[in-house]
Amino acid sequence: MNSKTNLKIALTIISIIAIIAIGLKIKPILDNYDNFNPEKVYKVNYKFFFKSEDKNTSLKTYTPSSNSRQRISNENIKNDSTLSFVKKKEIDENIRAIWNTVERNTYHSVDYEFVFEGKDKHFRIPKVFNIASGKYRKYLKPTEDIQSDNEIINELATQLRQNTKNDREVIKNIFEYVYAIPSAPIITLTDAVTTIEQNRASCNGKSRLFVALSRNLGYPARIKGGIIVENTDKRTSHAWVEVLINETWVPFDALNNHFGFLPANYLELYRGDKSLITHTAGIQFDYTYKMEQVHHISFLKMNSEEIYNLPGFSLWHLIDKNVIPTGALHLLLLLPIGGFLVAFLRNIVGLKTFGVFLPVLIAFSLLHTGFISGIAIFVGLIMFIGLISYPFDKLGLLYTPKVVISLTTMVSVILLATHFGVKNNIEWLTKLTFFPIIILTISAERFSRSTLEDGYIKAIDKLFQTLIATSISYLILSWSWLPSVLVLFPEVALLIIALSTSLGRYIGIRWVELFRFKPLLKAEK
Amino acid sequence: MFSIIFNKKSTVASGVIGLNERNIKLIYPNNPKRHYPLADDKVLTKEILHQYHIPCAETYAVIEYNSDIKEAWKSCKHYSSVAIKPANGCGGGGIKILKKNKKGNWTCNGEMITDREVFQHMASIIMGFFSLGSHDRVLIEECIEPHPFFYEIYPQGVPDFRIITLNKTPLMGMLRMPTDRSDGKANLHQNGVGIGIDMKEGRLLEVYDGKEYSNHHPDSTFLVNGTPIPYWKEILEISVATAKAFPLNYLGIDIVIDKNKGPQIMEINVRPGLGIQLVNKTGLKEVIKQAI
Repeated sequence: MNSKTNLKIALTIISIIAIIAIGLKIKPILDNYDNFNPEKVYKVNYKFFFKSEDKNTSLKTYTPSSNSRQRISNENIKNDSTLSFVKKKEIDENIRAIWNTVERNTYHSVDYEFVFEGKDKHFRIPKVFNIASGKYRKYLKPTEDIQSDNEIINELATQLRQNTKNDREVIKNIFEYVYAIPSAPIITLTDAVTTIEQNRASCNGKSRLFVALSRNLGYPARIKGGIIVENTDKRTSHAWVEVLINETWVPFDALNNHFGFLPANYLELYRGDKSLITHTAGIQFDYTYKMEQVHHISFLKMNSEEIYNLPGFSLWHLIDKNVIPTGALHLLLLLPIGGFLVAFLRNIVGLKTFGVFLPVLIAFSLLHTGFISGIAIFVGLIMFIGLISYPFDKLGLLYTPKVVISLTTMVSVILLATHFGVKNNIEWLTKLTFFPIIILTISAERFSRSTLEDGYIKAIDKLFQTLIATSISYLILSWSWLPSVLVLFPEVALLIIALSTSLGRYIGIRWVELFRFKPLLKAEK
Repeated sequence: MFSIIFNKKSTVASGVIGLNERNIKLIYPNNPKRHYPLADDKVLTKEILHQYHIPCAETYAVIEYNSDIKEAWKSCKHYSSVAIKPANGCGGGGIKILKKNKKGNWTCNGEMITDREVFQHMASIIMGFFSLGSHDRVLIEECIEPHPFFYEIYPQGVPDFRIITLNKTPLMGMLRMPTDRSDGKANLHQNGVGIGIDMKEGRLLEVYDGKEYSNHHPDSTFLVNGTPIPYWKEILEISVATAKAFPLNYLGIDIVIDKNKGPQIMEINVRPGLGIQLVNKTGLKEVIKQAI
């Protein structure tokens, strides 16, 4: 009895400490709440080097501005003192940075640095578009490289519009036509007509053709330029298309197959058929875009240093110093939460599951594969294993070799499916990476064991209940803020221990027992 | 809110015990884990039963190694019927009842069985085919013949009594019987039926088929409710004796009445199910309160 009360006191003290530690951090965190919620944060650095010649030399590039899906901050320009710098807003709302020098035959360098925070954006595309107002007329006109009035373009556009029922289908047809053109890293300028003729193009050629076809059919369209930001250095910029649909410019990337969607790492820089960098002709010039992913907490306006300075204890250093890969760290942090959830589902709700952590781990692999396709693969494979092991059951094999047979079959099926998926471009078949495969294997073993211990019907019932627990875990674990919350509040682990202790002492009736003992409970009332 | 999540009211109002309470209040404090094998391993159970002279099927042979199979089987050949069981089998898997026919040949379920097939079956028991891969022992024992009392209720399969004891006191009992749908099995979740027992009077109560209560077995017209149970005193006595013999204080004891020898202990369970409360329409907590 004494040790019991001691434990109770210890747990109460631990909980109080945990709650106080959490409380200390809550205020600064709420004060710094960021409703922008970027998915990805990068430090981007344009690095330019050039040598001026025997005349005035200038270098121009586009700089980004913030909008509803990207936020630009901490702009920082470093250049040698002989360069004069201006920033100019141009038509189309593009912002141009211009460096000029009158020094002759000298080397110059420019560092233009900023922080890019981006999130992806899906656009809903209505079936029928309103007619665009007159102020967008210029987005319907042909240009030298976007020959929307050209006969070849006209013919193709008419053909793409045939047999369509609404505007969305027209755009879809254009998109699919342009997407199907093989992509090639062509550096020379490819105009819209050439793109059709050589049936091969880079992002620029594809975008010009897309715009030309849209304009020909009366949809205002323009080229959008930017950079696909990645954790690397690169020299390529990117172009995609925007079509005006009911007063909204909707993005289409017919190179990377984004239909009415812009991924989080697309840095938008300029509008129109421009080039990102222009400079005085005939000079020596070199450049790179240096990009580095910055660790961040999506709902916090704080930078790394400020997070370090939060009162109390956090796991930020593990993220910031890359001690553990982010995915692994998230799994570690989410396991206790998931485990507690499963404990709740088992002891209070009364679900029967294969193991405690298995539903959590399956839910975790669903985060990799996607929910629907993941569940389909999971159930399909396990049922398949059940069918395969049936004849071996009849043979009367010993348990362990039989498990080896089913697992070998499963691995073969996974490999075949992946091979088939890659060959035929079926994306969901290729998603079984290392981690989900391990989890699937363990689940299949548990299932075949259960078929022996409890029979097929009970095993399938248990599988079904495991899937329910998995889905509930998935709902909670897929909440994108949860890992960050746990990084900021690792004290939650202590609370989970305290809560599990009281859950472990819970002697009430489980929810499913309410149904099981219904006749008895009713009689009492 | 909390009382809805944790069902406070209904638990307090009825005397029903759920799995959580069974584990925490009954199993953990009364059944030390290190003694579980005494109940889970049929050979160990029977050793103790024999030691205390508690009636149970006579053990003919226990086989631990493949090399002993032939010898052991030879020593059993003069019996007219035997039951072959894995010591650690689960869910009734691996049990074979062998009987001699008029010509003196061994049969299983009415079909002839060769010595070779018997050896194979015993070998697969030893290799752990019925106990999930772990090495196991073969138990050959006397074959129990059900008392004709049960024929009137339902003539097929082997019905058995389940008595729950706590601290050597019988708390609750039921009679489990096979049905036409249960394939010879008497388990409630395998379509068998449970019949409640009036512990004081030793009479059968209503029949519960998992959904409804009635006064008859679903496959016969015999009036079950109120029927006195033969050997009831002995059944209670051997239950108490068994409970005293084992260092386990919360048990589910399974008993069969043999035609000639009367009540026999079949096996004991350290984690007896809770369905017995439904069969008797009474919560275990209620009964425990009265017993103390």
